[in-house]
Amino acid sequence: MNATPGHAPVKSIMPNWVRNPQEFVGGIALMAIAVFALWASSDLQGMRGFSFGAGTAPRMFGFLLLGLGALITVVGVVTEGPHLAKYHWRGPFFVTIAILTFAFTIRPMGMIFAAMAAFLIAACGSPETRWKETLIVAVCLTTFCSLLFPYALGLPLQLLPTFMIR
Amino acid sequence: MGDIFTNLGLGFGVVFQFVQWTPAFLGGISIPIPVNILLCLIGALVGTLVGVLPGIGTIATVAMLLPITFGLPPVGALIMLAGIYYGAQYGGSTTSILVNIPGEAGSVVTALDGFQMAKRGRAGPALAIAAIGSFFAGCVATVLIALLGAPLTRIALAFGPAEYFSLMVLGLIFAVVLAKGSVLKAIAMIVLGLLLSMVGSDIETGASRMAFNIPELADGLGFATLAMGLFGFAEIIRNLDAGGETDRKLVQEKVSGLMPTRRDLKETTPAILRGTVLGSILGILPGGGAVIASFAAYTLEKKVAKDPSKFGHGEIRGVAAPESANNAAAQTSFIPLLTLGIPPNAVMALMVGAMTIHGIVPGPQVMQKQPDLVWGMIASMWVGNLMLLIINLPLVGIWVRLLRVPYRLMFPSIVVFCCIGIYSVNNAPTDVMIAGAFGLVGYWLIKHDFEPAPLLLGMVLGPLMEENLRRALLISRGDWSVFLTRPLSAVLMAIAAALLILAVLPSLRKKRDEVFVESEN
Repeated sequence: MNATPGHAPVKSIMPNWVRNPQEFVGGIALMAIAVFALWASSDLQGMRGFSFGAGTAPRMFGFLLLGLGALITVVGVVTEGPHLAKYHWRGPFFVTIAILTFAFTIRPMGMIFAAMAAFLIAACGSPETRWKETLIVAVCLTTFCSLLFPYALGLPLQLLPTFMIR
Repeated sequence: MGDIFTNLGLGFGVVFQFVQWTPAFLGGISIPIPVNILLCLIGALVGTLVGVLPGIGTIATVAMLLPITFGLPPVGALIMLAGIYYGAQYGGSTTSILVNIPGEAGSVVTALDGFQMAKRGRAGPALAIAAIGSFFAGCVATVLIALLGAPLTRIALAFGPAEYFSLMVLGLIFAVVLAKGSVLKAIAMIVLGLLLSMVGSDIETGASRMAFNIPELADGLGFATLAMGLFGFAEIIRNLDAGGETDRKLVQEKVSGLMPTRRDLKETTPAILRGTVLGSILGILPGGGAVIASFAAYTLEKKVAKDPSKFGHGEIRGVAAPESANNAAAQTSFIPLLTLGIPPNAVMALMVGAMTIHGIVPGPQVMQKQPDLVWGMIASMWVGNLMLLIINLPLVGIWVRLLRVPYRLMFPSIVVFCCIGIYSVNNAPTDVMIAGAFGLVGYWLIKHDFEPAPLLLGMVLGPLMEENLRRALLISRGDWSVFLTRPLSAVLMAIAAALLILAVLPSLRKKRDEVFVESEN
């Protein structure tokens, strides 16, 4: 929900006593999520007599996660483990942009445009992309999907941009 | 006994149902079409097609293909999904034999000996024995489901909320113990899943929980959305990291001589039998399902073999046993889902998601109220296995060609396909964005060695667990000891506690890790 993978994989940041950075950071992130969930459910009603309120279960699991996160963090200090894995920005970045582009264009522009755009942007995520074949495959896939989803499967998808339909 | 035959008869009746199709262009002539058989066939084919693509596991395949079944009637949709599941599994073993890239965790061990066989020009017999073993295991598992279905349902109907809650706790603990990796981290993932399942409106009071007044979150996080993000998008991003084009050495020799020799068959028969038994047992247990079954079967074969040194160098028994085991387990894992309504692993969790979308609440009631659905699905499993045997062997050539599709073309296609699929569930662009966010979360989880599968399980079981916990405590007037004073519940809780203690004991942990380490040597 809010677990953005924002922790920079810079090894030098980690103090020496953290012997298993992967677990350490993972545990801290879980604790952060737990605190966030506890904060988010703090306005909900708790126990009413012996019956559960809306907030009881979220709080229960929130505290449980907080405890587990703390345990994992401790494990990260007392055990030996691998360094933080290296993150690459290119793949995640372009795939995310492609997904967002699809989400923002599907309503106003229709499926054909959204699918083509998302395909071409996602393709930027790999350094091996060759544009000629990518274009051909993009056209083929878009055609296939425009036949499969609205026609073969009967799902109500709008193919063309809204301004062209009017 | 008679019951079973009646039930299976009903099931096969559903599968072989013909629907009259009267197209306008034929001028009123109607053609009978075996709809469910066709759906099973399409499911198995599409499942294999996607499962063959390297880097896409079974869970990702089923998640990706979920939306295409939404338009179908419930029985057809579930039959097709089951077909997709077996197809994906079979596709996974094909890639591990031919390219040494296991498409899914369950076929990691198949790659050990399967790929060695392929290198020696024996890819044909390896594929054939995998298919034959799977088919045999599938037959046995189908009968087992039919045998256990009715009695287990009767037990389940006697369960109260306290028993249900304890059973789910036991199931989750099993999932943790039988899974790979750290027990602590797996539990944390389950709890995170449980927390995520709380987003949306509360079942009893209707209060909005952790939704921040975002209308799209009011109904909770979509299950298919989350699964596609965590498994579809995250896998793509991870594969891009690893460099999609590396080590994809395809076996270039032509796959010829499909049939195994008489000696192969004689050697593998006991292995298939052992694999089937082991797989069936492990499949019923909640947790690992197919994955642990194939690892355990391989380890067992190595233990009982006269000359264990042959394993890892193209020993046909090393293909037969795990393949039979993983298929048997894949199928018997339907038992807890259909009888108790509790998904034992992530794929079954997806099945629950699919059933809920069709308005079916899995559990013992389904078996009674919609017997055609349950038995139709069980019968379709057998038919699906038969189809895999018939379709896949002749089509191996096509699957091999698919393997040559470069990743640089494949991954944008998967991204687009997933986007359209997620969007089509609710026609909601926000769902696509949420899935994208979970793709990043999944990537981060993989990087920190957290398994996303338990998260999915927690997410599905969350509402069920909360509901039963609340009811149990309401009935007991807030007395928490109810879980220990009701005998059945106490037994379940005791087993759960014992398992958890065993799992953290160093000696057993070493044993468990040994089973999984097999693949890395």
